[in-house]
Amino acid sequence: MTFARASDALLVADDIFVQFDTPEGPITAVDNVSFKVRPGEFLSVIGPSGCGKSTLFNVIGGLLAQHQGVVSVGGETISGPHKSIGMVFQEESTFPWRTVVDNVAFPLELVGMPKAKRAERARHFIKMVGLDGFENRYPGELSGGMRQRVSLARTLASEPKILLMDEPFAALDEQTRLLLGDKVLQIQQQLKQTTLLITHNITEAVQMSDRILVMTYRPGKVKRVVDIDLPRPRTSEIVSSEAFGRYVAQIWSDLREEANRGMHDEEKHALNEDGRAV
Amino acid sequence: MAETGRLRRAAVAAPLVSPVTLLRVAIILGVLAVWEFLADSGWLYRDVVPSLLSIGRALASLLLDRNYYFHLGVTAAEIGAALAIGGTAGLAVGLLLGGNRFLSKAFEPYLYYLGPTPKIIFFPVMIMWFGVGPESKVALGTLSCFFPVALNVAAGMRQIDKVLIRVGESFRATTAQMVVKIYLPAMRHPIINGVRLGFGFALIGTLLAETKLSNKGIGFLIIQAYSVFDMPRMYAMLIVLFVLAIGANALIGRLGGLDKIKRT
Amino acid sequence: MTLVVSHASRSYRSYAAPMVGLGSFIAFVLLIEVLIRVGLLNRFIIPAPSEIVASFARLFLEENIAQRFAFTAAECIAAGVMITVCGITIGVVMQRFSLLQRACETWVAAFASAPLVLAYPLFMVIFGRNAWTIIMMGFFSALPPVILKTIEGISGTRKVLVNVGRSFNLTSTQQFWKILFPAALPTIFVGVRLGLIFALINIVGTEFLINFGGLGQLINDLAERYDLAGTYAAICFVILVSVLFFIALERAERWLRPVD
Repeated sequence: MTFARASDALLVADDIFVQFDTPEGPITAVDNVSFKVRPGEFLSVIGPSGCGKSTLFNVIGGLLAQHQGVVSVGGETISGPHKSIGMVFQEESTFPWRTVVDNVAFPLELVGMPKAKRAERARHFIKMVGLDGFENRYPGELSGGMRQRVSLARTLASEPKILLMDEPFAALDEQTRLLLGDKVLQIQQQLKQTTLLITHNITEAVQMSDRILVMTYRPGKVKRVVDIDLPRPRTSEIVSSEAFGRYVAQIWSDLREEANRGMHDEEKHALNEDGRAV
Repeated sequence: MAETGRLRRAAVAAPLVSPVTLLRVAIILGVLAVWEFLADSGWLYRDVVPSLLSIGRALASLLLDRNYYFHLGVTAAEIGAALAIGGTAGLAVGLLLGGNRFLSKAFEPYLYYLGPTPKIIFFPVMIMWFGVGPESKVALGTLSCFFPVALNVAAGMRQIDKVLIRVGESFRATTAQMVVKIYLPAMRHPIINGVRLGFGFALIGTLLAETKLSNKGIGFLIIQAYSVFDMPRMYAMLIVLFVLAIGANALIGRLGGLDKIKRT
Repeated sequence: MTLVVSHASRSYRSYAAPMVGLGSFIAFVLLIEVLIRVGLLNRFIIPAPSEIVASFARLFLEENIAQRFAFTAAECIAAGVMITVCGITIGVVMQRFSLLQRACETWVAAFASAPLVLAYPLFMVIFGRNAWTIIMMGFFSALPPVILKTIEGISGTRKVLVNVGRSFNLTSTQQFWKILFPAALPTIFVGVRLGLIFALINIVGTEFLINFGGLGQLINDLAERYDLAGTYAAICFVILVSVLFFIALERAERWLRPVD
């Protein structure tokens, strides 16, 4: 265990390298990615599909053991899911057999918090995501956006130092996404929560982040780091400002190149499988 | 149950007594009327279709007969034991096969193909191994209910939404916590369905074995009624049996909370 | 685009698991053989596997197992034809008249889970101790799944296909025969398959119980004669027939599926 220094970085990813064995040979998903996240910072990692961002998410979350490079939280190297890191997944992840309050109380249950205290804490976070009144409903009775809010509340209930989210709003429609983005921003600003967001959505990234890491297409490297100098507190209204538009354009020009490479790669793949050429 | 949602029918304003209930009552009354007609007509051999009154009387005397409850208890105990042993074994094997791809590919085909076979033919073997007492009936019931439970649990393990497992891992749940708080609840539908099927098969296996060779239990009583040609009594016993079987089936489903928790 | 994250699979790996399964089974049988030879297992409770295998010849030559098989098969075919014709017809009628469907479908489902076979003494009284009892037993226990799957198949026709028919102004009879019924066939076949399996199980079971008929009766007979090895051999034969029948039905269903 490394000596815990009082550094200004809470999360440090150092030279992360991930390679997978596939029938077509080894594929490098993440290639020497390094970055730091400061306390209270909102950092987004953005890239085209296939750039390895979800792989990175799994590495930092401790769910993927086979990688090179070191991830450390507060100076401590992680090996497996770390108690300071809370994960919000892209897919539907609420437990359908538990009510909203039981879902949110889940991490508290695991550490043995007594029942009354759990319920009270859970309600606090349910209120924070704006779902008060729905405590005793089942996820099946809620909309997709509401269920993602439950997942978020559940992770927040474990009071992680770092909130790690993998495209949490990918499955939602644009309008719901913008409003939920507002909510997340509000919560993050209220809690001063250190957040690492993985996304493919430029608007979302610029709306919420202090800094953005732009990744290349596979093998995923850090192409550029963009500081977002928009004033805080922010709301979804900021998407119509000029500065916002400039940031989006800048990032899109970087991403377009990578997204193109991704698309050509896919087309090549489809041709190969068809038996034609190359 | 079939989904009629796809071919939509025009909604009908709800009358005082629903037409469905009316039709059901009409059908029941119709069947009873035809029955009584056949009974009184004398076309069929005496008592093959006994009058409703004689069945009613036999039913009453059956339910008031203390001896009947003794036999009912014997059968219930046998079925309970069969379900406990076969169900537990099935659960364990199912969890094992469902959790391990290799084991599943190696051994599950045997369960899958041996499942839909007539188990009653194993009864002579059970008698050789366990004697003529209730043990052989329990053994046959266990054999019958093992397969559906194991197969359903194994399938259930495989269809757990993988993200739920990752949620548990991301919160660093212990293995015990994963099993109790995530695996088992996520599998409640397949487990309950497996138990329902298992109960049904344990019931059939145990009762058929009783009819073949026994001196106790409901199966024995049914064959006894057959051998003395006491048809009203046999009908009465079959009616009670079917009501209990269907009721228990519904109860298991209800206990599993299937109607309460909607799937997302 | 998702990344295929899997280890390279070499072709021999796909045979490893079934081989282990088969190997375990063979090892188990050999173990029983050894335990009996050594005397640790009582040969009057479990006959040696070698004896069981040897009995097979006897079953064919002396016990007419081939004819008995034919008898059981004939009963199954009779029941099978009946459940197909009656089951599909009843299912179609029920689906057509929605009131009837709403009233009776749960009853049919309840019958599907009811232990009908326990009423075999009743059937013996009505039909006598002969093949008709057996066939009727197979028929009634196999009917519910055919009816339920027929209803499910027809009701589950995709709305868009129905609309195609309506856009061509088909009459309701044409709509049924040209669109609904063909679209329902795969599901109906699943129901028939389930029904046939239930029929076989109940037919062999009833033969055993009433001591009449083909294969089921043979087992009963051999057991009553205390012919241990023969009983075990006959049971193995029936299980084998049952498994092969099941596999054949699965193949048939898969062969029909590409039409879907």
